Amino acid sequence: MTPRKDLLDIASLTDEEIEFVLANAGPFKDLFKRTVKKVPTLKGKSVLTLFYEPSTRTRSSFEVAASRLSADVIGFDIESSSVVKGESVLDTVETLESMKVDYIIVRHKKSGTPNLIAQNTRASVINAGDGWHAHPTQALLDAFTLREKFKDLRGARVLIVGDIQHSRVARSTSLILRRLGMNVAYLSPGSMMPREIPQEIAQFGNWDDALAWRPDVVYLLRVQSERMDEPFFPSAAEYHRNYGLTDARVDIIRERGLWLMHPGPVNRGVEITDRGMNYEKSLINQQVENGIAVRMSVLYWLKPGAEG
Amino acid sequence: MGASRRMKRLYHQAQIASEDSSQLQLGDVLVEGDRIIGVAPTISGVSDCEVIDCQGRILMPAMFDIHVHAREPGHEDKENIGSCAEAAINGGVTGFVMMANTSPTIDNAGVVRTVLESARRARIGSSIYVAGAITKGRKGEELAGIAGMKSAGAVMLSDNGHAVDNPQVLRRAMEYAKHFDMPIASHCEIKDLSGKGCMHEGKVSYALGLPGMPSISEEIGISRDVRLAEYTGVHLNIQHVTTAEGMSTIKRAKDRGIRVTCEITPQHLIFNQEHIGNYDTNYKMNPPLRTAEDNAALLNGLKDGWFDVIVTDHSPHTPFEKNQDFASAPFGITGLETALPSLFHHFVSKGILDWGLIVKRYSAEPRRMMKLAPVPVKEGGLAEFIVFNPERSMTFTQDFMKSKSINTPFIDQTLKGMVERVIYRGEELLVR
Repeated sequence: MTPRKDLLDIASLTDEEIEFVLANAGPFKDLFKRTVKKVPTLKGKSVLTLFYEPSTRTRSSFEVAASRLSADVIGFDIESSSVVKGESVLDTVETLESMKVDYIIVRHKKSGTPNLIAQNTRASVINAGDGWHAHPTQALLDAFTLREKFKDLRGARVLIVGDIQHSRVARSTSLILRRLGMNVAYLSPGSMMPREIPQEIAQFGNWDDALAWRPDVVYLLRVQSERMDEPFFPSAAEYHRNYGLTDARVDIIRERGLWLMHPGPVNRGVEITDRGMNYEKSLINQQVENGIAVRMSVLYWLKPGAEG
Repeated sequence: MGASRRMKRLYHQAQIASEDSSQLQLGDVLVEGDRIIGVAPTISGVSDCEVIDCQGRILMPAMFDIHVHAREPGHEDKENIGSCAEAAINGGVTGFVMMANTSPTIDNAGVVRTVLESARRARIGSSIYVAGAITKGRKGEELAGIAGMKSAGAVMLSDNGHAVDNPQVLRRAMEYAKHFDMPIASHCEIKDLSGKGCMHEGKVSYALGLPGMPSISEEIGISRDVRLAEYTGVHLNIQHVTTAEGMSTIKRAKDRGIRVTCEITPQHLIFNQEHIGNYDTNYKMNPPLRTAEDNAALLNGLKDGWFDVIVTDHSPHTPFEKNQDFASAPFGITGLETALPSLFHHFVSKGILDWGLIVKRYSAEPRRMMKLAPVPVKEGGLAEFIVFNPERSMTFTQDFMKSKSINTPFIDQTLKGMVERVIYRGEELLVR
């Protein structure tokens, strides 16, 4: 396996690399049962989180992962930094380059920004979500979570529900699950379905058709109201009735024994109800726990300074 | 200078291209002063004459580009008229029309005069022309000083870079401009449909997670403007057509006798959405690179004569501006220095396009559209031609470029063919 510097998306990973990250996440997860959850793997290394978009969960998950590997974790506070004063991304990166950090974990609202940063630093860049493009660690943790539940992912079916157009989670998670042999379908309001999606992904416009496809997993996306500057649906109530996991639909998926996933944070009453949150086959909390293990595995795998 | 200008030059045994023929004609071309004084299979016995061996070379009328952003005044960090002229010469182009999206906007006679005065200092100064804006500040609200700009020397009207969104404003502009006998050049785009799009809406915009500009945004814009042209009777020139459907609309309009012409760029023939790869902003332009199917359809359209002119839409931007995330980087690429070699490399050298078509679409027709005389290689004609060597090749390094900017997909690419000589009104402006 060629050493890799950056994790920018799923598309550029080899099967071997995906396997490596998923396989090593298991032993890292086993550490969490111990009283001392820390290993010295990244002792003396520094991990910097550069979040241009607000995020509590992903950022904390990375910080916990890096701490458990004994790295020094530095948060680059955008709100109070020169970025607010108009400094360009690349000027910021040049500054960070002088600080000789080893890993930069970046989230940005513009797709491709982590790629741009990666081209301009020796540090390993981990994409923690860029625009609508990619969220590779989410995809890896989703794959890891499903592998804990399915003996063989091949042929299993996952239905991804919600705002596909603006979702980096849909793009990355659908890609990795297809790479692992799963069948993927999208269920989305017509106004939030991208114009051209890979033809291997089935497309549905309502729950009845989507459930008739017989999914094994229902993966709800967050309704990203903050990413919308156009009206894509008339109201949250109408979205909920037509595309949300209503109580009635919870009963259907319970009856069928489907797994339920969500990348968080959830909008209760929009894409999911209280009853959905309490559904016994929900994997939402496991996704969070596995996120730390997978991110530890990613940090362990990447090699700062490696070519490309 | 007098002595060298008076001395005759014999371009010996060149393959001469003309818009009237797909075949090249082997012959000698004799130049004295600013004129071609002889064209014949062989010319001998000329005294006091420099002989230039042109064996294996193409000798063709120099190019003329009606869609160029020279960035002066206001954006001289990207380009100025002088550097733009040198870039043009470097690519075998000896005249161009510069667009109005400068700062201040070229929207009144005063700015037209200032720009033309500055242009006169360039080596091809007498062949640099100006397009005035259709509306003040290119805001699409009030008409620009159309009559004044015409009398100051403007040859075309365009709000280039964006459409006149309000169809009533465009209609009035067309009605008004008709009597000043200037084409209206339209950037066709329904802005509300393109939204914040930064590339073609399709499978690549999905994969890269970038907001898309759907083909229908351009196509509906073309349909609208063509109908307005029909209604008002103005000469409408549709800029940089990029979709097969848009081309068909124009074809149908032409068949119905509507006064509409249109442009094609080399980049929209050669590249498509797939070339954007890892967010390469040198492939970001508006209208965007479309699909491989569009490439093929447009190329057929060019062969079949549906495009009147080839243009570059030369749009310089600084490295600082282009070195951003894809959505934030500005639209546009440079083209004057690479257009002809890229057309040769991708199409002429493979027998897909012939030299006659290149001369017609990138030299003769653009001049005619601007009501200028073409510069065919013929006895008594103006000596304004280039010598192109199909055997050499050229690497488009930063050092090679005369433009102030290097935002081109061809940067550091090696293409077959080389512009070896550029002759402008008898003077050799470039020899390599």
